[in-house]
Amino acid sequence: MKAMDLTQVGAGREVRVSRLDCAPGTCQRLREMGFCENAMVRKIRGGADLVCWVCGTRVALSARLARQILVETVDGNS
Amino acid sequence: MSQDQPRRWIAVVGNPNAGKSTLFNALTGLRQRVGNYPGVTVEKRTGTAYTLHGEAIELVDLPGMYSLSPRSPDEEIARKVLRGESDGIPQPDAILCVVDASNLERNLFLVTQVMELGIPVLVALNMVDVAEARGVRIRPGELSQRMGVKFLPTVATRGKGLVELRAALGQKLSDPGERRWVMPPQLATAVGQIAAAWRDALPAELGAEGRALELLAGGKDGPEGARKLAAAWRERFREQAYDWPAAVVQARYAYLKEMLGQAGVGHGQAHLTWTDRIDALVLNPVAGWGVLAGILTLLFTSIFSIAAYPMEWIDIAFSAAGGWLQGAMPAGLFRDLLVDGVLAGVGGVVIFLPQILILFFFLGLLEDSGYLARAAFLLDRVMHRVGLSGKSFIPLLSSYACAIPGIMATRTVEDPKDRLTTILVAPLMSCSARIPVYTTLIAAAVPAAVMPSWAKAGAMLGLYALGTGTAFVLAWLFRKKMMGGGSPPLILELPPYRRPSLRTVALRMWERAVIFLRRAGTVILALSILLWFLCNFPHTAEDPTERLAQSFAGQIGHALEPVLRPLGFDWRIGIGLVASLAAREVFVSTMSIVYHAGGEEEGLVQAMRSASWPDGSLIYTPLTCLALLVFYVYALQCLSTVAVVRRETGSWKWPAFMMLYMAGLAYAGAWLVQAVGGMLGG
Repeated sequence: MKAMDLTQVGAGREVRVSRLDCAPGTCQRLREMGFCENAMVRKIRGGADLVCWVCGTRVALSARLARQILVETVDGNS
Repeated sequence: MSQDQPRRWIAVVGNPNAGKSTLFNALTGLRQRVGNYPGVTVEKRTGTAYTLHGEAIELVDLPGMYSLSPRSPDEEIARKVLRGESDGIPQPDAILCVVDASNLERNLFLVTQVMELGIPVLVALNMVDVAEARGVRIRPGELSQRMGVKFLPTVATRGKGLVELRAALGQKLSDPGERRWVMPPQLATAVGQIAAAWRDALPAELGAEGRALELLAGGKDGPEGARKLAAAWRERFREQAYDWPAAVVQARYAYLKEMLGQAGVGHGQAHLTWTDRIDALVLNPVAGWGVLAGILTLLFTSIFSIAAYPMEWIDIAFSAAGGWLQGAMPAGLFRDLLVDGVLAGVGGVVIFLPQILILFFFLGLLEDSGYLARAAFLLDRVMHRVGLSGKSFIPLLSSYACAIPGIMATRTVEDPKDRLTTILVAPLMSCSARIPVYTTLIAAAVPAAVMPSWAKAGAMLGLYALGTGTAFVLAWLFRKKMMGGGSPPLILELPPYRRPSLRTVALRMWERAVIFLRRAGTVILALSILLWFLCNFPHTAEDPTERLAQSFAGQIGHALEPVLRPLGFDWRIGIGLVASLAAREVFVSTMSIVYHAGGEEEGLVQAMRSASWPDGSLIYTPLTCLALLVFYVYALQCLSTVAVVRRETGSWKWPAFMMLYMAGLAYAGAWLVQAVGGMLGG
């Protein structure tokens, strides 16, 4: 397992959220929208701002925020 | 149910895009605004629905929200209604949760919170067709059994499941019962103690656990003992660095994941869909901007090219009505009032109805299809540079139609400074009421023969760009330089694309047409009659030009002329500016009355083009038209906007600031056009 932030994940990869490193209010909103610790997230689009698939919906995030979402790869998904 | 028994109130809640408004409309028959982007419903709306037994129940449709911990004003509105703290609406007798069946895990998160309010809950599993198409197995019976509340499948857009829903709403709904998710032990102790303190003080109070969690989060309402206990626990958790809010969210999601798994409900696969294929184009950093520019160009070209035909028909109809009145009535003041006052004033504005409808048609398509959320995403980086987030884009775009819904849509903006900045600059986005002014002045500046419709569209686009560009510069000044602090980062749900419902779009256009025509038939008619009197009395001269100069309106215009002269505006334009203080489009009807144009666009433009100063030089030179256009891009000539800003900001300070800065900008802008034009020999 390799820890990184969400911007470093390639498009199409599925990763597990390991930690959120943002302001408490923002963290809470992220969790409520499905970006909980241990939640599985698939990155759909990369780029400066990115789109993820989480809990059955597409959620757009600014790159600034994505850098604060720490994730880890899961087996068979490097 | 007897007549004198109070009606039951049922709140309709759910995540954004779950189909609440569609279901609400289907149940009540109301034309609640429905869109395919988060934040369409920004205030509560009520309507009457009937159960299968004919019992009338009041439904209140609340803004979409992701959780009961409010982070934006629209979510706060929803929370207050659910808690019975909203003026004019009693605490709901039951809650109808609308969930997107294709996205159950995230949608049911809110349901777990709603169930803790101590109010009976019914869940509408909406969009089951979409869910099934995505391979999600829907088992309402299983879900009802496992969550302890009734689940009913619906497809609100096609009216499916409504009979069952009406039947269920007519029955007594059961209380949600005990909490199903497992609270972490450390937190459970705290919540148990706070809830017990609450029950001791208010034994009849329902949902004490939910109340305890609110108090722990810093809520102020509740018995003193419970509040003190919550403060002590909060402090203890802080010392222990225990992130209890995170633990609660995780515990709820863990329960939902397990429960959905046991019920045999998945959330579909994240496979590539046509939504992703379209997104690959519209979210591309290069092609996406091309798509946006193409859509805007098509919009503005259509406003001129397609609208030209119905506008001509309206023009002909008003000319014919004027001609008929001239022939059928004896000459006199009453005939002048009807022809030069009523027909000129009302006709001068009604003629622009087709352009306004085209604008709403395009905005409706964009909104309903799901594209608007993408545009917000695309613009986030630009907005970020001026200190705002992409969420401010949708209110600003709505302001192209009208600043009032735009300003109300700022309720979805979470950061208070972002929201205030968006409100302050929203009226700079050219609204539909400016279209008549722009069209008339563009036509007066350049003869139609030498200006094809694409060039007119280009000129119009330039005016929109001027307003938008200035809005961005001022947003940067207000937000980054004056207010300081950073904007919260963007988190935005991108709904799947949907084929726009032409019915929804047509209904929206119809509503707009009714609002516009009602305004033309009331405010503009009254102002037109008043203006006709002010332009014709005292009735001292027979010559219309002489009479206008000596009239009350003429006297006001003459008094203003020294101030307006540096801008190239004469006293007649001064009358137009004063008359249109309440509503911009009144400028055109005023000019129609001032120039006796009889409600015909062509007649007004000709009269303006030949109007001259006493020395014989033309008033409406291209430069003066441009100065006047710039004035109208910037000036806040709309009393309704002032009123809504007062309501949304809760003070007169901000509307007063807005009026002053926009008036200053309008004057300075128009003066600059004349000064630079003069230097360049214009």
